[in-house]
Amino acid sequence: MTKDLQEDNKKISEDMMISDEVYMTSGVHIGTRQKTADMKEHIYKVRNDGLYIIDINKTDQKINIAAKFISKFNPENILVVSVRQYGQKPIRKLSEYTGIKVLDGRFRPGTLTNPSAKGFIEPELLIVTDPLADSQALDEARNIGIPVVGLCDTNNELKYIDIVIPTNNKGRRALALVYWLLSRAILKENGKIKSYENFKPTVEDFEAEI
Amino acid sequence: MKKAEKCISCGKGLIERGSTTFICPNCDTKIGRCNSCREQNVKYHCQECGFIGP
Ligand SMILES: [Zn+2]
Ligand SMILES: [Zn+2]
Repeated sequence: MTKDLQEDNKKISEDMMISDEVYMTSGVHIGTRQKTADMKEHIYKVRNDGLYIIDINKTDQKINIAAKFISKFNPENILVVSVRQYGQKPIRKLSEYTGIKVLDGRFRPGTLTNPSAKGFIEPELLIVTDPLADSQALDEARNIGIPVVGLCDTNNELKYIDIVIPTNNKGRRALALVYWLLSRAILKENGKIKSYENFKPTVEDFEAEI
Repeated sequence: MKKAEKCISCGKGLIERGSTTFICPNCDTKIGRCNSCREQNVKYHCQECGFIGP
C-alpha cells in the first residue's frame, strides 16, 4: 500500500468482505470537500487537501447489512436508480445478476406515483445511488411510503434514507466496486451462491466505460 | 406488509405521508419510522437486535 493510502487508512477490522486495500485503491473512501451533520459519524477524518475521508469499516458493514435487508424482498419488487452516469452500468449489472429492477438515466416524474404515467411501477423498496442526484425518485418513494437504501457521500443528507451505505458515490471505480460487492452479498444471502468465490463477474465488468 | 402502528424513534402514529414500515435488516422485527423522524434523520434502534439505523 502506498504511503498516501496508509495515511487515509483507519484501523481496519479483520473480517471485511474484501481487503481494505481494494476499497482504497478504488477510492471508496474518498469523499468530497463538504461534510453534512448527517454523515459525520461515517467520516473518519479530513485530509490536508480538504477532502473528507469515509470510514471504510462502516462502508463494509453497511454493504453487508444492506444486502441482508435487500434479500428480504422479492427482487422484482425492488427498484434501483442512478441519474449519475457512472452509476448506470453498475446498477444494470446489479440488475442482471440479482433480478432487481433498474432505471438508469433520467427518472420520469410520476414513475412511482402516477398510475397513468408511462413505465409506472410499484416497487416495495428503492435503492438510490445519490440522494441528491436521485431526488425525484427519493421524493416519490417518500410519497408512496416505501423504505429507501442510499449510497451516501460526505456531502449527502440522510432525509428519507432508511439504510445508508457510506461511500464515494461519484467515482467510476468506487461505484463499480460497491455495486459488485452488493450484488455478490445479495446472491450469497439469497443462497444463489454458496461462497464469494462462486461469484464470477469481475469489478471491471461493473465499471462504466470512460 | 401491514404497517407498523407507531414510529420506533418517537412513538408517534404512522398516519402522515412519508412514514414507512420495514423489517429490521439485522433481524425480523417490524420497524416503523414516521415522516418527521425520517426527514430529520433521527436514528432508530431495533429493540430486538440492537441495530442502529440508518
Ligand atoms: Zn418518529
Ligand atoms: Zn433488529
